[in-house]
Amino acid sequence: MSLAEPAALPVAASAPPRLLLLKRFSARFKASLPAYLLLLPSLIFLALFTYGAMGRVIVDALYQRATPKAPVRFVGFENINAVLADPAFTGAVVNNLVYAVGTAIPSIGLALLFALALSRTNAVNSVLRAALFLPVLIPMVAASALFLFIFLPNVGLLDYYIGRLLPVLPNWLGDYDIALYAIMVITIWKNAGYYMLFFLAGLQAVPEDVMEAAYLDGAGPWQRLRHIILPELKPTFLFVTVIATLNAVTQVDHVFVMTKGGPSNATNLVLFYIYQQAVEHYDIGKASAATLLTLAALMGLTALSFRTMANREGGS
Amino acid sequence: MLFSRRLMLGLAVAGTMAGALAFPAMAEGPTEIDLFFPVPVDGKLARDMGTLIKEFNETHPAIKATAVYTGSYDDTLIKTRAAIKAGKPPSAVIMSANFLLDMQIENELTNLDSLIAADGTTKEQFLGQFFPALQGNAVINRSVYGVPFHNSTPLLYINADKAKEAGLDPNKPPQTWAELTDWAKKLTKREGDKVTQWGIAIPCAYDYCGWMMETLTMSNGGRYYNEEFGGEVYYDTPSMLGALTWWNDLVSKHKVHPPGATPGPAVSTSFISGNAAMIMLSTGSLTYVRDNAKFAYKVAFIPRNVRNAVPIGGASLIVPAGLEADRQKAAWTLIKWMTSPEKSAWWSRATGYFAPNMAAYKTPDMVEFLSKNPDAKTAVEQLDVAKPWFATYKTVPVRKNLEDEVMLVLNGKKQPKEALIAAQKAADETLKPYNAETSLKLP
Repeated sequence: MSLAEPAALPVAASAPPRLLLLKRFSARFKASLPAYLLLLPSLIFLALFTYGAMGRVIVDALYQRATPKAPVRFVGFENINAVLADPAFTGAVVNNLVYAVGTAIPSIGLALLFALALSRTNAVNSVLRAALFLPVLIPMVAASALFLFIFLPNVGLLDYYIGRLLPVLPNWLGDYDIALYAIMVITIWKNAGYYMLFFLAGLQAVPEDVMEAAYLDGAGPWQRLRHIILPELKPTFLFVTVIATLNAVTQVDHVFVMTKGGPSNATNLVLFYIYQQAVEHYDIGKASAATLLTLAALMGLTALSFRTMANREGGS
Repeated sequence: MLFSRRLMLGLAVAGTMAGALAFPAMAEGPTEIDLFFPVPVDGKLARDMGTLIKEFNETHPAIKATAVYTGSYDDTLIKTRAAIKAGKPPSAVIMSANFLLDMQIENELTNLDSLIAADGTTKEQFLGQFFPALQGNAVINRSVYGVPFHNSTPLLYINADKAKEAGLDPNKPPQTWAELTDWAKKLTKREGDKVTQWGIAIPCAYDYCGWMMETLTMSNGGRYYNEEFGGEVYYDTPSMLGALTWWNDLVSKHKVHPPGATPGPAVSTSFISGNAAMIMLSTGSLTYVRDNAKFAYKVAFIPRNVRNAVPIGGASLIVPAGLEADRQKAAWTLIKWMTSPEKSAWWSRATGYFAPNMAAYKTPDMVEFLSKNPDAKTAVEQLDVAKPWFATYKTVPVRKNLEDEVMLVLNGKKQPKEALIAAQKAADETLKPYNAETSLKLP
């Protein structure tokens, strides 16, 4: 800018300053026009399918249609209040919290364990890695259908083997107290292999020389893990935790296929609750309100965790 | 300048394309219609539907019908509603029979009376083709909104080999709840506390659970819902209390029924594998059981406590609202063809559902089939005592209000009485807006 300044000055003397500003602006616009044009197709689709839909959700959340004959009317925050007062929603939130914690911790723990065990690349480890990664490749719906058979009371694969050991055979998906944990097992089985990938990548970034120094200083395997590997993996942990939390809220295929939220809402998760409001109750207002609440919570959570991550990165 | 010319060109091209989209098929051709169909049982149904539609197109050159697979009954309702909202309703849909009332309340159905009248028949003549039990779910406010296509009733399936083993005569199946309880006790095998063979299993997952509760309640003299008005259900009643208490007793008192809520496929697998000696299931599962059971089995009426009565299940053909006249007419031709005696009978043999058209049972193929498979006859005979399937404003949530509570009882979390009081309260709340607009809207 400073280099262009002298050349621009004589022009400024002959033309009013306002016009100059406009000219400058139009020149800049002209320069960046191709870029905007190139972006246009994606912008149109983003507007149509992402921002448009989000805007629509916000609008829908403010309106209510009580019955088919009643006109749609503006109700403000009434839908949101109704959702918050619905025991099915609060139940789904509690279930989702249990589900998020109960799937994130074990699957991250397993993933770390797998990654540590298989961090060296050789033929055997490659095969084992592939085997552990396999569940990720199976679509959730197909996996759920498989597990439906595994969980069949009395005749399923699980009862066939475990049944001999237990005094009473549980009805895995039909028991009010067990169903949610049965669902969680599938999520852990499916996600642990995926998170393992991130940890494998994270382990490659552990500095070789620091490890060597630790060796020479006579640090045992536990000390190396505790004081070198785990601290180095911190960013990976944070990232995977965010992904796991998002997964806990956005993946409900297995709930849909296996239990439909039952028995008695024992496996109802927030996203499935939204589906029920929209589709079974035909109540778009309440469904949109619940979506807004979920989105707000998720965005808050993500912002918080990435901020922590940025802080830590900056601090180190 | 150059750019603006390009833009104009682009706009012109886009305009032409939009025009082409807006006015398709200017040329004369067959009327194109689409049929949404669910597959509530096995995958084979989709192939059978393909065969059926192909035959229709070959015999009706003026119409080109396409069958669109739309998932389960519930999914089909969702997809149909989405299509109606998008302004592109399908021409005909095979719709779960108890969704018709809800759809009619939402103004999503075409009243078929005028189409029937245009054929020169009366409503009575038209409905007279079908079993009387099916008419309740097809007629709303004395107008026809659906044509029964494939229907079912619940049946008692008995493993005849196991019955003989236990010293019971499978040719004299239990007829009352008392007899059934007795049979179930004799058919339950235990090793210590562990049950290795259950006497009876009744499915309870969303959808099936409500249907079984209606079955038991009706056998106990009850009604479940108001057949004449979509704003009332009778959950907190003696007839339903008796039904749920008996079901609960089978689980927790007699311990002859698996605890918890067991979905339909788990129940049928359990029967096929010999783990449950008796089950209650839809007639729609009959073909599956016939093909897979490696033992002698018997089917019987659902036993009674007060009276013999069961609800119907299955689906009707409907025409969504908002269709152009020519497609409406073409859809009507398809519907009449699909529900004719021959096609009805063919579909029944392929699927295991019974044929709603009474004349179907007079066709030679069907007479021969029934003499070979007498178990298929039981379902038809039970139709004499069959009643309509519950249908209310917001059928699915109102049903779920009951199912959630029943599941709590079967899990030992609640007593039947308190569960039914809670179910009634929840259902009344769901029905409230409709009542406010109808029964409680006073001058």
